Amino acid sequence: MEITDFRKDIEGFEEIQKEVAVLRKYAFDYSSQKGRAAQIVDLLHPKRLNLRVAEIRQETPSTKIFHLVSSDSYLPPFQAGQYINLSVEVGGLRTSRPYSIASAPNQIGYYEIAIRRAEDGFVSNFLLDKLQVGDPMESTSPSGNLYYNPLAHGKDLVFLAGGSGITPFMSMIREATERGLDRRIHLIYGSQNPADIIYANELSDRAQQHGNLKMDIVISDPPAGYRGLAGFISGGLIRRLIGEVTAKTFYLCGPEVMYAFCLKELESLGIPRKKTRTEVFGPPKDVTRQPGWPAEVKGDAQFQIVYMGKKSISAKAREPLMISLEREGIVLPASCRSGECSLCRTKLVSGKVFQPRGVKLRKSDQVFGYIHPCLAYPLSDLELR
Amino acid sequence: MTSTDSRRLSMPDYDAVVIGAGNGGLTAALSLAKKGLKVLLLERHNIPGGCATSFVRGRFEFEVALHQLSGMGTEKRPGPLQGILGELGILDKVEFVEMENLYRFVIPGKCDITLRADRAAVERTLQEEFPDEKEAIERFFALVYKFCSEMVSVAFLRDPEASWEKYPTYFKYALKPSQKILDEYFKNPFLKAVLSAYWGYMGLPPRLLPFGDLAVLLWAYIEFKPFHIKGSSQALSNGILDCFLQAGGEVRFNCGAQKILLKEGKIRGVRTEEGNEVGAKYVISNASTLSTYLELIGQENIPGDVLTALGTKTIGPSAFTVFVGMDCTPENLGIKETTNFIGTNIDADQEFARWRTLNQPTFMGLSCYNVSDPDFSPPGTCLVDLVKLQYIDPWLTVPPTQYAEAKYKYAQGMLDIAEKVFPNFQDYIEEIEVGTPLTHMRYLGHPAGAIYGFDQHAKDSPLFEERRSPIPGLFFAGAWVGSGGYQPTLMSGVSAAKAVLKSMAKK
Repeated sequence: MEITDFRKDIEGFEEIQKEVAVLRKYAFDYSSQKGRAAQIVDLLHPKRLNLRVAEIRQETPSTKIFHLVSSDSYLPPFQAGQYINLSVEVGGLRTSRPYSIASAPNQIGYYEIAIRRAEDGFVSNFLLDKLQVGDPMESTSPSGNLYYNPLAHGKDLVFLAGGSGITPFMSMIREATERGLDRRIHLIYGSQNPADIIYANELSDRAQQHGNLKMDIVISDPPAGYRGLAGFISGGLIRRLIGEVTAKTFYLCGPEVMYAFCLKELESLGIPRKKTRTEVFGPPKDVTRQPGWPAEVKGDAQFQIVYMGKKSISAKAREPLMISLEREGIVLPASCRSGECSLCRTKLVSGKVFQPRGVKLRKSDQVFGYIHPCLAYPLSDLELR
Repeated sequence: MTSTDSRRLSMPDYDAVVIGAGNGGLTAALSLAKKGLKVLLLERHNIPGGCATSFVRGRFEFEVALHQLSGMGTEKRPGPLQGILGELGILDKVEFVEMENLYRFVIPGKCDITLRADRAAVERTLQEEFPDEKEAIERFFALVYKFCSEMVSVAFLRDPEASWEKYPTYFKYALKPSQKILDEYFKNPFLKAVLSAYWGYMGLPPRLLPFGDLAVLLWAYIEFKPFHIKGSSQALSNGILDCFLQAGGEVRFNCGAQKILLKEGKIRGVRTEEGNEVGAKYVISNASTLSTYLELIGQENIPGDVLTALGTKTIGPSAFTVFVGMDCTPENLGIKETTNFIGTNIDADQEFARWRTLNQPTFMGLSCYNVSDPDFSPPGTCLVDLVKLQYIDPWLTVPPTQYAEAKYKYAQGMLDIAEKVFPNFQDYIEEIEVGTPLTHMRYLGHPAGAIYGFDQHAKDSPLFEERRSPIPGLFFAGAWVGSGGYQPTLMSGVSAAKAVLKSMAKK
């Protein structure tokens, strides 16, 4: 650009003009960079993963292990403890569920997930009954915040696992033992009965072979004559098993009831909040029993939801909005389905919702009326956008 | 005739489409909507803000990018940004928090100075600390102030009679490297380092940083004070978006632009990532100029000289941030200032070279928002961001499988520096998260994860280049066509909207 006005009199202008003339002559060709940013990001965080079931194994009477491989690219890295959100279509309903990756990050051939049959496991039971080797699957790339953070967690870790909550710990244990990482792990693993302990054999093998892994299994519902540890994972038990509690970081993953119980027990041991890491868990079994639920709204109350100014759908008070929307074919972006990742963030234009404690909303999102529909329940007719 | 056909022939769907809800995109969209135009705002992320966002971990909500908001000013002395946000109706929606001090500058064992955001106090503090250079300090600030008052006349008020004779200070110093002026005025290297500490936020060491840029920043922070935002900069982004929606604007999240559509070289509309085509004669792109031209316009449609002009520029730095939620108060940690520049030495050139490596940094910023806003995190806690600029280059040499380890290692290097100034810093960590240049690339979509667009050498000054797009109907907002940072990008959107309105009025 030729400059003829006052600017040419600014001291140093001529030199700069000369510099620019040279640079133009040897200008970098940015067209070579087209698509590069997306390419690089995709190596770490691709938006979607196309997977295929490569192996299915019956692990316990209630649980199957699935190996998922990439069907078109490669499996991005993850931090031990993270999950993928699997998309599924069950009886015409498109939905998704997060599953922790149980395989170690250093094992890059497949993601292993473990699925346990559950009384109300709409998706889990479908996957257990229908999934075949060779079936295609789709998921998000790995995410989640329950993982070992070397900046804050120290070298002494205590894992409190309940039932299928063992999966993120399995990944961490496999990684630490296989890579010889400088961490001491004590796993306290609660299970209902001794015949249904996921990864029981592998865990005890690893504990025998690696001095930095200890394991205790605690059976909540022991059969007659059971001689191992029994009951709940109480503060007293924890202290007895691990000794000194200070400087240790506690990780917790298991069923809803376990959180309520174990968090109190940890507190009673004087363990500071910063030393307790918990996995998020999905919608509560019965939201109407959550603290703060308004007594006048019954769980099966029906409300009308207007979505994006058009579609009107009906929604039950006791069901997360995300699921009510999915019933009508509206699939919101989702990853955690536990109120944390904010992918499903939606504007509540009018009406009232219930959001259980622990939903991680930004302060200004609360001010300006945004909700996380994966963990928000209608308390009136609503308009969402 | 189908409705799509009729629309294509007659009225476009929108008056304007704004691509990207970063600072510039948000103010651009709001400015147009407030004028009664029908505006569609596209954002590929699920929240507005770009850099001006927050995220939640545990009981903490972390500020992603804002350290000191410039240009706000006080009630008595309102700054340019306050004026603009006032006109846009944002001031009733968002609360701004004034900081008392510019920064504390610490090189442990060697130098520890806190500067108040007040000219007389700054001069006094420096004179007490460096009594030998008492008179030089006075002259330096006289120069900064003289320069800035002339700059306002030349660059902001655009005096048509601007000349060397009328504005000698501006004409002499605008393009000079900062280091040269510092060397001319001062002897003590620590004094020079304290005065140029902002280089670490600006992106070029004093040897390369035009004096005009450093002078204006110092002056602006002193005159208009540094600010923060109640509830993080996400509150500002959410506030602007809320005004936009109230003004009748339409936003689509999780929906980027895939292509800008042209007809006979003019803007015709935008195809979204969802595959919908929307008609509009005006597009304001808040994406980088590079991706706008290369990915959205398409190489075949880029007018002659554009790529050559862009090819003279180098992509600027990204940032590396360690976000820390502490289970103690700032007092427990010994943190007394919101903004701290801390380091192990003051060799800016050596540190700048490190921005292209994974070697432990020697200089960084540490912001503790609770010092000026105790409510920033839950009672008894505080929130600290450790930040330094860094180019993406070294991160491209890290294999994906080793990425997590590499980022923790680098973050540990920064924690080690924090520890030197604030002992036992690491013992109080409750939540900690790390953002690298790759993180910025992921969420911003910018080439090289750049947070300020291109490097801002003297040659890249807006004085010397045409930044308007040669494509009729296409306009830009954001750091890629101006300076980086909150105030410039927020203001760039307003300017882009004005340019669109001017162009509409001509037709």
